[in-house]
Amino acid sequence: MSDLVFLAASFAFFFVAGLYVCGCQSLKGGGDND
Amino acid sequence: MTANGWLQIAVFFVLIFLSAKPLGLYMARVYERKKTWLDPVLVPIERLLYRVTGVDADAEMGWIEYGAAMLIFSCATLLLSYAIQRLQGVIPIPLLNPQHLAAVEPYLAWNTAASFTTNTNWQAYVPEQTMSYLTQMAGLATHNFWSAATGMALAIAFIRGIARRESKALGNFWVDLTRGTLWVLLPISIISALVLVSQGAIQNLKPYDTVKLVEPQSVTATGTDGKSTTTLVTTQTIAQGPLASQEAIKMLGTNGGGFFNANSAHPFENPTPLTNLIELLSMFLIPAAFCVTLGKMVSSPGHGWAIFAAMSVLWLAGVLTCYWAEAQPNPLLHGVDQRVAQMGAALSPGGNMEGKEVRFGVANSALWATVATDTSTGAVNSMHDSYMPLGGMVPLVNMHLGEIIFGGVGCGIYGMLIFVILTVFIAGLMVGRTPEYLGKKVQAFDVQMSMLYFLIFPMVILGFSAIAVLAPSFGTSSLSNHGPHGLSQILYAYTSAAANNGSAFAGLNANTHWYNATLAITMLAGRFLMIVPMLAVAGNLARKKIAPPSLGTFPVNSTLFAVLLTGVIVIVGALTFFPALSLGPILEHLLLRSGISFA
Repeated sequence: MSDLVFLAASFAFFFVAGLYVCGCQSLKGGGDND
Repeated sequence: MTANGWLQIAVFFVLIFLSAKPLGLYMARVYERKKTWLDPVLVPIERLLYRVTGVDADAEMGWIEYGAAMLIFSCATLLLSYAIQRLQGVIPIPLLNPQHLAAVEPYLAWNTAASFTTNTNWQAYVPEQTMSYLTQMAGLATHNFWSAATGMALAIAFIRGIARRESKALGNFWVDLTRGTLWVLLPISIISALVLVSQGAIQNLKPYDTVKLVEPQSVTATGTDGKSTTTLVTTQTIAQGPLASQEAIKMLGTNGGGFFNANSAHPFENPTPLTNLIELLSMFLIPAAFCVTLGKMVSSPGHGWAIFAAMSVLWLAGVLTCYWAEAQPNPLLHGVDQRVAQMGAALSPGGNMEGKEVRFGVANSALWATVATDTSTGAVNSMHDSYMPLGGMVPLVNMHLGEIIFGGVGCGIYGMLIFVILTVFIAGLMVGRTPEYLGKKVQAFDVQMSMLYFLIFPMVILGFSAIAVLAPSFGTSSLSNHGPHGLSQILYAYTSAAANNGSAFAGLNANTHWYNATLAITMLAGRFLMIVPMLAVAGNLARKKIAPPSLGTFPVNSTLFAVLLTGVIVIVGALTFFPALSLGPILEHLLLRSGISFA
């Protein structure tokens, strides 16, 4: 049971990290690359 | 402090200075896929690896794709480590588990998997009593290579972001990972391991030896029923294992996880003063070379050396403070026996010898503690918990600054480059111009991501430390000392985890559900949640045009720049962590001088 919890926790962390990537990208405004 | 001690410190730094340029230029060639003398051997292996794994080595990645590949790789290797630890007791290869060690407990296994994946190598266990040879080799030593090569790949991606113009790509993560491992980490590790073996480091798969003690010892222990029993101990178990191969990459990859619990204070891990020097050099070797790699790849060697200078000044300040603090006797030890060790005698310089390996002495211990926490290594050859308060504060401060004083392999230079962006931004504000960094305008998104990078770090350290300090049942119950030293123990644990250092202040029993779980989360957050904004900055910089330098451009290869950079690093670090430090080691120092200590 514990193994499944830690498996889920690992996936959850990296899923959140993936969302975090999207969040960072969404902060990117236009006209900022000159 | 002795002249001999300072001479050894000076020799160490001169060797690092001399090695930085050749290795840095070689690394630039490796990552730019130019010819090197190892190509005839390694290119066929590289091609085979790409064919087997289906990697298109010529495909370039944007920052999101690069980051996603890194996250997927890290997740997969974390789970692999976890599985090996959980299955070590049932894998039917007796040679790889001659002590018949059972499966690692789930909380500890997850903590360890997160620890080695993030290059932290925090160890809440006694390796020789917990990990089989299979786990040491396939579950942990492999991570020493992978996590180091990942850090190096990310640093190269950041440098490409600075060097490239109007590009969406930062390179290919799989290629950078492979080339860093094959061309840089493996060859140096092989040479280093052979030298370690020649000096007495072990490399075998033997069961542990049992030997007769020359002097049998009487040991008195008190049982749970309160009764004391005295036993005559006549034998000792001497742990064995494939150590030298792991030791070499442990130091070179700035990983730091010991094969044995005593880490580099163990005579098998660090047998002679020569191995001590080699291990010290291994920690700074690649991080120092990265300054030259940066200068070469961005076509501004002076910028790389300016960063090298700023790092060197901060390193010197740390080692000077630590050596000075540890060369003093502990004022609370007034006994005659202690005075001999502490105050010095004809053949001993004295100083705070508690927790020091007498083979290495105060100078090499202070140098090691500084270097291991300037970088993300975290290996120890003396016990930091036994340092004087200000001596122990040096490792803490080194980590609080973000481990950018040479830093971990790869993560040191990209952490420093985020500081560079902040410095350039502040310099731009001072003169009222849009800040530029090597011809690229530093704009809102770059600064937002840089600030995110800086804020995550103290948030996880101070947040979890505050909870632990306020929780007697699961936080302070693990402490061996109370008062300011207890705060230092907790603060050190979360700092070490977030900075991906892995050294322990000792004294704190971290093998509990609370500490195993929260330290694992801290390690993961300290690694990956800081990498993402860093990559976002790199991706954004790569897309920009390069403007030619003008009269208003702030030169980043000048002494003024190095001074300003050093100032920004100190001010940001001091402002963030000074309140916590003042309640921990600084208060402890003042109380110690007044004759007050805490049990």
